[in-house]
Amino acid sequence: MAPSTRHLIAVMGTVVTVDLFNCEADPNVDAAVARVRTLLHEVDRVFSTYQPSSPINMLRREEISLDTAPPQVAEVLDHCRRAKEMTAGWFDPWALPGGVDPTGYVKGWAAQMALDALTHLEVSGAIVNAAGDIASFGGPAPAVAFRTGIVHPADGQRLVAVVELRDCLATSGESQRGAHLFNPFTRNFDSAVASASVAGPDLGICDALATALGVGGHEVMVLIDRIEGYEAMTVAADGSMSATGGFPFVSD
Amino acid sequence: MKRSPFVLAGTVVGLASILSFHTSHVKISLTAISGPTTSVPPVTTTTQPPTSTTTVASNGPTTTTSTTTGGPTTSTTGVPTGKRTVTGPMVNYYYGQLSVKVTASGQKITKVAIASISDGGNPLSIQIDHYAIPMLEPEVLAAQSYNIQSISGASYTSAGFAMSLQYALKKLGI
Repeated sequence: MAPSTRHLIAVMGTVVTVDLFNCEADPNVDAAVARVRTLLHEVDRVFSTYQPSSPINMLRREEISLDTAPPQVAEVLDHCRRAKEMTAGWFDPWALPGGVDPTGYVKGWAAQMALDALTHLEVSGAIVNAAGDIASFGGPAPAVAFRTGIVHPADGQRLVAVVELRDCLATSGESQRGAHLFNPFTRNFDSAVASASVAGPDLGICDALATALGVGGHEVMVLIDRIEGYEAMTVAADGSMSATGGFPFVSD
Repeated sequence: MKRSPFVLAGTVVGLASILSFHTSHVKISLTAISGPTTSVPPVTTTTQPPTSTTTVASNGPTTTTSTTTGGPTTSTTGVPTGKRTVTGPMVNYYYGQLSVKVTASGQKITKVAIASISDGGNPLSIQIDHYAIPMLEPEVLAAQSYNIQSISGASYTSAGFAMSLQYALKKLGI
């Protein structure tokens, strides 16, 4: 087995891991990972809702306008608008108390950009994992797919499923952390399921869809099932699971 | 048009293949953290989780969050070598306080663990602690028979955990 490397980047209130597989021959790895680090910290600087002076918070307080904010803000909000349409309003950063908050999209979007900054490397595959929101290409070896475990929402020691990782996977849930998913229709912090996972080609979209799925449950799963390339799975509070027909379960 | 939009649901007939996942949970070994976390005295009362999440980062040393952005230019030590372990400071997290311990060999991190935790014995927080470590050590999981390279779940990793970890990484020169 050829060597693989792991890099940890503490950013965005969590830890992002960057795993590169079979990368021994490529001298560009360190520079690429440094670029990823810079990129993620820049996203954090612009979009952190925990930093009072971040551009997103200044926009929320109407101290700056979209025109004077960094250009990534308008770009992200455009993507969020599209995700809101895709989910019939179940993902709605504009409904949150305190003003627009694209957090449910940004982490996945940032991890996707991080992965895109690694695609030129001579590796068999790469995984960027931002606290469970995962972007990847390739595999642990040529022609071998990555596999990801989805953690049980009520018991972090158990997996509820193992899936083949095709590009991206995002999971939302709140059973252990207390309610933090905002329901734009009830305007309360509540959710339909304990854990919601979405697999697909773009992690930002997966992240937004998973957020919507966590709040809307079955209704959103029906919507996702109609979106080309995306698949969904939920775990309810009682442990029962639902999934779209093409969700990439591994059965062995 | 892709396949017909048929959604499998928990109450719908024909779910055998999916429900079989439900009844055969994968067991993950957590030997890496059995020491520190099991030292927390168990409690029998059930505690409700806080309903607000706004305290997650507000209690932490937020001024440290950008300390790794600048690269190695301000480093006062040479390139660290050999095996060494550093424990980060106690920082606030969602349910209490914790610190993390990182072991490195050369520039490679070989182990991440919770060094100490003060969570009031809340069973919910103990579960979260059990979650955070396997997420950072998927190689532990990969060593199991399931051959997986990553894990996904709701993002319980707290800002406090990240801050303590970041401090430890900085001290290690990584």
